[in-house]
Amino acid sequence: MTVAVKDNICTKDMPTTCSSAMLRNFKSPFDATVVRLLNNSGATIVGKANCDEFGMGSLNVHSVHGPVINPFQHPSSSVKWEERERRSAGGSSGGSGAAVAAACVMRNALATDTGGSVRLPASYCGIVGLKPSYGLISRWGVVSFADSLDCVGIIGRDAACTSKLFDILSVFDERDPTAARPTTREKARELCSEHMAEWVSSDATDLTNLRIGIPQEYFPTSLDKSIVSSFRRVVRALKHRGATVLPVSLPNTSYALSAYYVISSAEASSNLARYDGVQYGLHVPLPPGVKRRILLGTYALTADAFDNYFLQAQHLRQCIREDFMRVFRVPNPLARMKTAITTATTTPHDPAGVHVLLHLSAVRTAPLLDSDEQDGLHPSLAGLPALSVPIAAGAEGDGWPLGVTVVGQWGCEKMVLAVGASIEGVKREDVLGGE
Amino acid sequence: MGQRSTVNDEHSSESDGGAAALAKIVMFVRSRTSPSSLRTPRRLYSTGQANTIRTFEKDSRWPGWQVIIGIEVHAQIKSREKLFSQTWAPDLGSTPNSHVSPYDAAFPGTLPVTSRLNFACVNLALRTAIALQSDIQQRSTFDRKHYFYSDLPAGYQITQHYNPIARGGYVFLPKSNISVCIEQIQLEQDTGKSLFEPRRRLLSIDLNRAGIGLMEIVSKPDMRSPEEAGEYVRTLQALLRSVGAGDGNMEQGSLRCDVNVSVNRYGQSPGTRCEIKNLNSVRFMMVAIGSEVHRQIAMLDTGKSVPQETRGFNEDTGETFALRSKEEAPDYRYMPDPNLPPLFLTEGHITSVRKEMPALAVEIRERLAHRGLTHQDIDVLMAVDSGNEIGFDGRRSQGAVAYFEALAKGRNSRTAVNWMIHELLGQLTQRKKAFHENPISQERMGSLIDMVQSGIVTGSSGKLLLRHMLDHPSSEPLTELGERLGLLAVRGDDFVEHLCLQAIADMPEEANAVRRGVPNVINKLLGQVIRASKGRADPQSIRRMLQKQLSSP
Repeated sequence: MTVAVKDNICTKDMPTTCSSAMLRNFKSPFDATVVRLLNNSGATIVGKANCDEFGMGSLNVHSVHGPVINPFQHPSSSVKWEERERRSAGGSSGGSGAAVAAACVMRNALATDTGGSVRLPASYCGIVGLKPSYGLISRWGVVSFADSLDCVGIIGRDAACTSKLFDILSVFDERDPTAARPTTREKARELCSEHMAEWVSSDATDLTNLRIGIPQEYFPTSLDKSIVSSFRRVVRALKHRGATVLPVSLPNTSYALSAYYVISSAEASSNLARYDGVQYGLHVPLPPGVKRRILLGTYALTADAFDNYFLQAQHLRQCIREDFMRVFRVPNPLARMKTAITTATTTPHDPAGVHVLLHLSAVRTAPLLDSDEQDGLHPSLAGLPALSVPIAAGAEGDGWPLGVTVVGQWGCEKMVLAVGASIEGVKREDVLGGE
Repeated sequence: MGQRSTVNDEHSSESDGGAAALAKIVMFVRSRTSPSSLRTPRRLYSTGQANTIRTFEKDSRWPGWQVIIGIEVHAQIKSREKLFSQTWAPDLGSTPNSHVSPYDAAFPGTLPVTSRLNFACVNLALRTAIALQSDIQQRSTFDRKHYFYSDLPAGYQITQHYNPIARGGYVFLPKSNISVCIEQIQLEQDTGKSLFEPRRRLLSIDLNRAGIGLMEIVSKPDMRSPEEAGEYVRTLQALLRSVGAGDGNMEQGSLRCDVNVSVNRYGQSPGTRCEIKNLNSVRFMMVAIGSEVHRQIAMLDTGKSVPQETRGFNEDTGETFALRSKEEAPDYRYMPDPNLPPLFLTEGHITSVRKEMPALAVEIRERLAHRGLTHQDIDVLMAVDSGNEIGFDGRRSQGAVAYFEALAKGRNSRTAVNWMIHELLGQLTQRKKAFHENPISQERMGSLIDMVQSGIVTGSSGKLLLRHMLDHPSSEPLTELGERLGLLAVRGDDFVEHLCLQAIADMPEEANAVRRGVPNVINKLLGQVIRASKGRADPQSIRRMLQKQLSSP
């Protein structure tokens, strides 16, 4: 197995620059836990992958190594590959995404996801990206952007190889204070297989009894028609295979981005305090995106603003988390722990609820590199597993890849990956789409 | 929430920097103020409580003025490991930067380790809380306190700002006859040390100390004079030592004080306080408070107001000097640490710490007096090695009191204490050795006492044997050792009989005197026999033998 590793994950034998001039010459004295696990499993790390500086960005253009150019080229295109249209590979894990999409030998890459940095490159590059449940893969050795959101993500050619790598990396590590305990993992595994048994059968194309929720708030009226019709085709195909597709509501969705922005900036301002050019790094100015987050986060944490911004954002985060818990059929394995911590009332799971949620990974296909078009993200405030799988582009679109995201209950990676594999099947049997 | 807008475009504000992004959040906050679906977030912290009320006491140094003092004590916890890393804590004189892990140095990618959180630190803080009668919080949390300083590589210090491990409590000061209330006790990380060498114009950073567990003990503003402040810190030092939580050494920096001082005219509300930092001894602290009181009074007397500021202390002039004003004071931007889960303490755990509490000095005295020891004996035992009975991580080390109590178990207390104080401690002192260097285990010391008591060796042979044991530590059984050295008492009556007959023959005059009825003369014969036996025969049996031989016709 050959794997590329995002450059904000520490490696002993290679530099770890976080794509920042600040850490241009930095070499970590230790390997991140995920790197150690890769080495132990016999994988070869071929190199470090470009990313947005410290993982902050969604186009992978803010990098000391230059922007990442999306390797995709439509089969019908007649121009040389080197002269293909210069579109973004997505960010912040653009390097990881492009590496898997372009290289024939490499099926996997490690990435990180704080607010969509795995799912967006996956969607733009036409590959699979998994942001696992928060706490399942060790963060020891991952350079922190926002600790309460950061996850190590996996990018792969398909759901199967993504699943394989997830099994290698998803182990308890006592060096990560936020790692889920083995008992919690076991509980999640049991709940997941218990509920998968409701619909998984020997016939992989039969999805009878699988309940899929479509969050209504994720489909604004402004969404491009061609994109919506591609999504509809996937939904129709899944229905055709027997899945029950239901509309669900996540009422606090519109506040997600604001809450995400306050929390991630506040944590970033704290985590990046060490890069002052004295303790770590070189004395270089930070790019505007990073600087903006630090200033904003610093402001949100000042004594005068803390209650109005940081605490409000934390409260919203809890509301958003509860939105998700209300719609899932699978109970939350962390429920008891969470009540103890937040003393907030958790909603009991709904037996009539859905197994997974399905929505578009991005509101558009890859934008041009030099455009200022940027994609919105569905930030992962609830710490749930989310898998982006490519879907067939409709004839009405621009021919560039697009992904859909499958979201599951905490610890339901196997379920999310199984549904992802079904969607891959749909793509291959595109003919079934006509209804 | 009917029609919804699209998920916001995170980066739309790229061109105009942070302003637009902020405005967006301001809008979000405003929009959140009305709906009842979102209640106001629970505040993460409680508001302060009222100060203790004390009657005004005149002070001839500043008549008509009242001085109010509150103290924050930072005490290094006596643990072998740091709080969130498995690095060993340095000893005094360790090479700079020799006890530093990547985490302690805030390397990118490192995280605090809590799966093996240093529970010794937690337990020592709990002991302190118990000794201070504080209210232990079953749930406490860790926060980041941000400021930029070169000995703080991460740019923040982990502390417990919002939910400390204990709240409340008090320290009673017997001399001043007042109680000083405690606001809270919080666990935190120590910072590194910066050393400035003016001659070389060089600032060196030593991170050995970075990450060591600290307790911050915050008092209420309950003290009214430098003397009370001094007694408070000394009492706290003694308390920390007695529970084994810390060395409490101000000179070596294992205990540091920030003192808040304000003055007001009698009957008026409290004045503006100034904080004095970097005080290296209790004596300097008292001098600094006195000088600060005079400075503030002089300002108020000339009609000026006292600005709130942080001040340093110049040991040469005995005066305080301005470090930074209130405007320059940093906003620490406290943030709940996203990596550290709350610290939950079960009732059972707290009870077990309570059970393991080392006895406080008063309790020890009472126990020893009950065993029949005199005050002098108790004083001697408790003063041994400065009463420092507890080692790292709260482990009980073999202190003199514990040694005595083991020795007295099943033996006569007076005998045990006499052997321990007059012989063992006496011999150690002669050898210029501290008690913790004592090579004789309590078991061996006990057997020695038993041998003397049962007559296997005589008292004087026992003392010789003890000296030999101190000079040549070994595990050789005492009877064999005594045998080898020829110190065992000679039990056989034949031997004593022989020596007595010999003595009577050698001293016919004395023998006849006894026979004639002058009983005291027998002591001369007795002395002769003891000398002849080289101390190996028991005086009582010699006396009996002599009496028998001299009374027979």
